[in-house]
Parts: sequence; structure tokens; C-alpha cells
Amino acid sequence: MAQGRKGRLNYRCPRCLMREIDMDMLYDRDKDEYYCLRCSFVGDEQEVLRLNAEFRDKYKDRTSRITDF
Amino acid sequence: MEAFYLNIIHRPEMVPEYIQKEAEHGKKEDLTRRRVLQESLDIFRTQQRIAHANGLRTTIQMTYASLFNAEAVSIAREDHERYQDEISSTFLGLQCQEFRQQFKSRELAIWLFSMEDKRRIVDAVFGKFKEVFGFYPASTGSYYMDAELVGYIKEKYPMVKAAVATCWEEGPKAYWNANNSWYTIFDGGPWNPWIPSKRNIHCPASDEADDIGIVAIPHISRDLMAVFDGPGSYYGTHPQNILRGMVYEDHEIPYFYNLVDQYRAMAKYNRGYSYNMMYVGPGWMSKNGRWEADYETLLHSYQAGMEYYGTLKKEGKAKDVTMSEFADIYRAGRPYARPECFLWKDILYGSKRQHFWYADPWMRFCLDMNQGGAMIDLRPYAAKLERPVGVGTKNLQDASYPFLVQSLYRAGYFTHYAGEGAVKSCKFGYKGEEVDLCACRSHASWSEEGDVRIVTVDPVEIEFDGTTIRVQSIFRIREGSGEIEIVRRIVGTTDPKAEVSIDEYLTGCYGTTEYPEDLTGVRLTLEGAADTKSIEYAYQCREDQVEDVRRVEALVPQVETRLAMRADSGRAAGYFREGFAFSPMYTIGIKKTIRGKGELHTWLKVEKAA
Repeated sequence: MAQGRKGRLNYRCPRCLMREIDMDMLYDRDKDEYYCLRCSFVGDEQEVLRLNAEFRDKYKDRTSRITDF
Repeated sequence: MEAFYLNIIHRPEMVPEYIQKEAEHGKKEDLTRRRVLQESLDIFRTQQRIAHANGLRTTIQMTYASLFNAEAVSIAREDHERYQDEISSTFLGLQCQEFRQQFKSRELAIWLFSMEDKRRIVDAVFGKFKEVFGFYPASTGSYYMDAELVGYIKEKYPMVKAAVATCWEEGPKAYWNANNSWYTIFDGGPWNPWIPSKRNIHCPASDEADDIGIVAIPHISRDLMAVFDGPGSYYGTHPQNILRGMVYEDHEIPYFYNLVDQYRAMAKYNRGYSYNMMYVGPGWMSKNGRWEADYETLLHSYQAGMEYYGTLKKEGKAKDVTMSEFADIYRAGRPYARPECFLWKDILYGSKRQHFWYADPWMRFCLDMNQGGAMIDLRPYAAKLERPVGVGTKNLQDASYPFLVQSLYRAGYFTHYAGEGAVKSCKFGYKGEEVDLCACRSHASWSEEGDVRIVTVDPVEIEFDGTTIRVQSIFRIREGSGEIEIVRRIVGTTDPKAEVSIDEYLTGCYGTTEYPEDLTGVRLTLEGAADTKSIEYAYQCREDQVEDVRRVEALVPQVETRLAMRADSGRAAGYFREGFAFSPMYTIGIKKTIRGKGELHTWLKVEKAA
């Protein structure tokens, strides 16, 4: 197995992010995949991006401009 | 001081953690790595340029490392002369070759050193600052500074008038968020600037004798709802926070503007005054990107934030001041007893939920309108606990100010089917049924009458088998009283003859984390017209009651606090309830039964126990 390295943009583990833990992942160049040292997540960049989009879904007002206070 | 004041604080951190960690991945530590030093300086220069381009002045907090860097010093001097930026000092960014040689330590947090080392470091930092600039700084800061550290600085360098002194609600949640490796454990302070007590930095000073001598500023203006239940580093007026929390879409950050505007709205609650601060180092703006965002996104987020502040300034809606200027403005004519309060509204999850936050020299508390106005956080500032931190102290890394109620750390209304959680609320009963206001979602409005701040919760409907009542809660806090008056009023009923019980209670504990502390020795006392009853907590499930109650009390010696409740009429009963080891809580309460419409009036007082 190849040595794990820092990947592009320091992707955090999307599964740990769901429970609000910032856990940088390591990148396996040979398999072109990211993996987490804590929760056993493994996935390619597309999978990370898909789960990150899911994480954002909880912020229903993330695109709203609110001015009524 | 009627205005929206803005502090923008930059620090030339020469070896920021994020960039250093990246640069040294697979390499040995090197504090003099040229690439890191140059990139950090470039970012600092960019941040300064963006602020100035938007017509904003900054406070430049020179790190110890930057005082040894001619280029950093030169930028600070030039920007001070050209833009009247304030040259200040910070205890962040201590680590550099010179520090390592002098102090032989890899410690990075000023608050975690021993007191002896703190003194030596303060003298080294301030001495170097004077050597470089020819004067001592008027402001300083770190993520946290305990009262003992600030006391020393003030005694030796009396010209210091402001300090970034804590991060709001950055406690166990921040530690957990950072994979249990980031030791900024300091929940429990005010969310906006305050004049700290000499005895504990978190507590607003009671009077001149208690005044530590500086104006404290919290690190970042944070979301008062999201950060209470989430990481502080996700939701604040620092673009990095918003990127880290991923509260953006297509590179746009409307949440930042919403946060700023909600802080601006605090003026309505605080005699026309409101405040915002942005405090950034260079680490997060690395060319390699950070938090899943590339450099262009990082840069854009900072530009967008500054542009918004700049626009507010141009429109006359914001005043950019430096830290020491702000300290002078803040102190002018502000009574020590004046509270800071605000009815925060959810701007993130689409829930319309509201939290009411209140802080004065006696207490800090939070009411949750999603739970009918239940108190979900209570910190006894009146106790002004002396809690030095750092090596050689009892508390070491735990710099939080203790709570008596914290419903997220200690369950609150919902427990896992056994025992009780920490919350202050009210229950209504009818023919064997009981409903807690925690289960009644509502909204609230705020008003003031002279020196009384008032929170009025919209009436909620409680449906019993056979009758339905409408209940309104009102909270009134008279400035300087250290007491909350609580009215629970039945404003409507379907059966004017129905006998309904009203039970105002507080279930409390104490601590700074999620884990229980030993309640042994807590004294619960009832004072009735005829007799007084008292027990010392021993996990024995004891309960007692007195009729015609005068006062119910929980004395918590571990946090030198006396919590007392009293009622307005002699027709109420007082009670206490001791917990057990699986439910490490105490409950004090006052209850009475009314027919049809009516109300129960109680007062909760927070006092220092002698």
C-alpha cells in the first residue's frame, strides 16, 4: 500500500464533518482515493464533494439574504 | 456611544499553524522556513490592502515573531503613518527561533504557561515591542487571557486599555471539533465587549473597585445560536469560519452579511450601541487553499466581507475604530451594571427559533423560545470565581466559567428516559396530567421600561383532558438587581372553574463540561412561614416541601454560589428534590394552584456565597 499524503485542498473527512469533527484526510495516490484515520471513510474526490453538498443541506438559509431583525 | 462600532484586527503571524503544517508535511520542523515566512507576510500585506481599499482602518497586532522581522515592522509603521492604523501587540504567534532559544518551550498558548512564565513572556514581548517601536502598545490580546495575566499586564504596563480576551463559547465543542487537539476551552463569557472583573476575566466588573482596567473584546462576533450548539470556528464574522462551516454556495457568503446585520440590530436592545469585530491572521489564506476552498475563494470571501463593512461605513452605518479607540468610547459614560442583551434569531437553519441572551455583572443566561422561554444556560457571574489557568494551577487548560444550568451539556428537558436534566422552566398540571413549557414552542418580543428589560413570550396553548389553557411567560430584569422576575400567567381557559397547578422550577448542577461533577455538600434549603428545612446533598433522592414559602435555595459551595427563588404571595409552596447518581441534579421550585385565570410570580436571584 502507498504512503498516505496530504491531498488537494486538505479535504476533511465528510463523515466526521457530519458530526462536526474537522479531520483532515490522507490521500492514496495509487488508488486515487481519500481515507480517514478516525472513522474508516474511504472515497474519491467526487464522493467527498457529494457528501459535502449533503452536509450543507442543513443550512436552509445559506443562500438567503436576511435583513429583517 | 450610539453607533455600530467595528474593529478590524490583523496580525502578521510569521509561522501560522496551517501553513507551517502543510510546509512541513513529510519534513522536519523548521521555524525559519523561508517559504512560510514570505507567504505569511504576503497574506498579511494583502489583508491590509483589502481593508484600506475599502476605506477601513485596522489594528495591527504584532506577534512576537514579527517584531524580529524588518519587513513586518516596516509594513506596520507605514500603514500607521498612512492610514492611522493602531500598532498593537498580541500573544498569539509567540513561536519563533528567538522565543524558542529564550524560553526553551514549544508552548504556543500564553494562558497555559505558569504564572511565572507568563510574567517573563509579557516582559519579553512588551520589551521587544518598545525596542522596535519606541512605545508600549495600548492594546493586546490572545485567544484567552486570564484575570491574573491581565492584572499583571495592567500593573506593569498601565497604558494597556484593551485586549482580545476570550472566544465566545469556545469550550468542549471547539475541542471536540478539532479532533480533541485544540486546547481553547473557555465557555461562559460575554459575546460582546465588556469590562472584566479583577477576579475572573469572563465576569463583567461590578464597580470601579472590581474593574480590571481594560476593555475586553471577544475573539470574533459569533452566531449566538449556532455556536451554542456547534463549533465556534464555523459561525462567526471571520470569512474563514464561514468557509470552514461550509455556509456558502457558489463562492457567495450571504450568511456573513446576515451575521453582521444581526449584530447591528443589537443597537435596539443596548441603548443604540452595537459592535462587530474581525480578527484574522494569515494562516487560513494560504495559496494552497484551506477548508475545501481554493485560494481564489478564500481571497474572494475576505474581499466580500471587507467590502460590506466598507459599504456600511460609506453609508454612515458603521464606525471603524482601532482597539484602543474603542476602549475609550466603550468606557465613556457606561455604568458598570448596564447589561448587554439580545433576542437572537436563527439565520442558518430556517427554523425561526429565538434565543434571548443576557449578561451583566451578576449573571449570564439564555432563554430558548423553542422551549417556551426555558432557561438553558446560567452562569453565576456574581460569584466572580477566581480561576487562574495554566501550568501550576488547579484548572490548567479548563478556562471556562462554570454553569449552573447548561441544557446541552447536561440534558435539559429531554433525558434518555431516566432522571432529570439541567433547565429552568415551569410545569402546569390538571387532574394528574402535567405539561412542561419546554414542550411548547413560541416566539418572544423584547421591550424596556426605564431600567427594566422585559422579554414577553407569546402565549402558548396547553391542552389537558377536559380543559385547555393559554399561558404567557414574562421575564423582567431590573438593572443592578441580580434578579430575574418571572411571571407565568394563565391568560385564557376553557373552564373558569378548573384548578390548575403552576410549578416554577430550576433543575441545576454545576460544571464546565458534559461530564458530571460531585454534588456532595450542595445545601438545599426551604424557608416557610412556620419552619425551615435543609439537607446536604448525598444522592439519596430526598424531597421536602413547606407551605407558605418565603424562600427556596440551593447553595453550591463548589462554585461559591447561592441560587434563591421567592414568590409574591404566601399561598405558594416551596420544595426541593435531591437527585441520585444516575441523575446528578438538584431541583428547587415554587408551586401553587389557581382556579381559572391567574398567575405565579417568582424571582430568581444569583448571589455569591460567603
